[in-house]
Amino acid sequence: MTAVATEVRRVSVGIGQLAVTKDPAEVLVAYGLGSCVGISAFDPATKVAGLVHILLPSSDGKQPTATEPARFADTGIDALVRRVTEAGALKSRLIVKLAGGASVLGAANAEKFKIGERNAEAVRERLRHHGLRIAKEDLGGTRGRTLELHQATGRTYVRTASATPIEL
Amino acid sequence: MIGTQDRLTETLSRVARDGAMRAGRGLSGLVGQEITIHIPDVRIGTRDDACSAVGGDESIVLGAYLGMSGGISGHVMLLFPERRALDCVDLMCGQAPGTTTEADELAESAIGELGNIVGSAFVNALADSANLPLHPSPPTIVHDMAIALVQTVYAEILSQGSDVVMIDTVFEDGSGNTAGLLILAPDPQCLSVLQEAAA
Repeated sequence: MTAVATEVRRVSVGIGQLAVTKDPAEVLVAYGLGSCVGISAFDPATKVAGLVHILLPSSDGKQPTATEPARFADTGIDALVRRVTEAGALKSRLIVKLAGGASVLGAANAEKFKIGERNAEAVRERLRHHGLRIAKEDLGGTRGRTLELHQATGRTYVRTASATPIEL
Repeated sequence: MIGTQDRLTETLSRVARDGAMRAGRGLSGLVGQEITIHIPDVRIGTRDDACSAVGGDESIVLGAYLGMSGGISGHVMLLFPERRALDCVDLMCGQAPGTTTEADELAESAIGELGNIVGSAFVNALADSANLPLHPSPPTIVHDMAIALVQTVYAEILSQGSDVVMIDTVFEDGSGNTAGLLILAPDPQCLSVLQEAAA
């Protein structure tokens, strides 16, 4: 393992966005996932790294828009798989990790909408559809999370408002 | 349709101003000194920079969330940058600013009360404007990353299959510093009720 002298560049992957990189200087970050789910995919052989930040469970047949290509779990994951394989990743090698799907607005609200829970379920379902196994996940609970994927190492980290980052 | 949208915007802006006035009165009564809530900006719709008012996406905020039910359902959320929230607690408890240094039980209880007063003021302003009975739920304390909270409200509205109408009301204190952000977001299926009231 050689030391990497390059400065790390944090690329923010906002709501409904998707990013793919092969640049060792880049760290892909989904800030403040509440009910949203962040899905990271990394191919250790080709070092293709991808991160997607989905907002809602189902597109109900709606086409993704140019401004929010990954708003929905189903079409968002389809786009992630397509983009990382186009960049050279092999689907069978992908290490997939998930974070988010929380109920940040309290129990009464969570009971009414269950968006976080529905997002997590829709993500699992779509990954199954692609034959992708989930390596690690940090889902549910009541805290917002930030998920980051370091292209250089393939490592992912999750942090909450009150805690230091932990490796996922 | 433009006319309808404009009328809705106008109605919601009026509601926000009315709500701010009521909230100011409620707070003045609570702390025993004159508190005014200045609203420099009422925004309809969610902009990407909604969180910038409270210090940016990843900034930690402390505040309260209330559900709204009755003739119009929806969300009310009051957020302060953590330090400003604790200053509010000191003000409410008659302590020198800086006395409260962490969000302990007392601080959370005070923030809940603050959310109750301010949130109810806006819900009542909306109820009067639409001439409908509306009820705020008891406040839930929120203490998290700003974007995680705003995003969740955004998702819940979008999941009902409509565009988002949110009123982001930015609070400023006398010195012009942004002190907090109030988000009032009616559920989309209730917008027609509001539009009728506005007509």
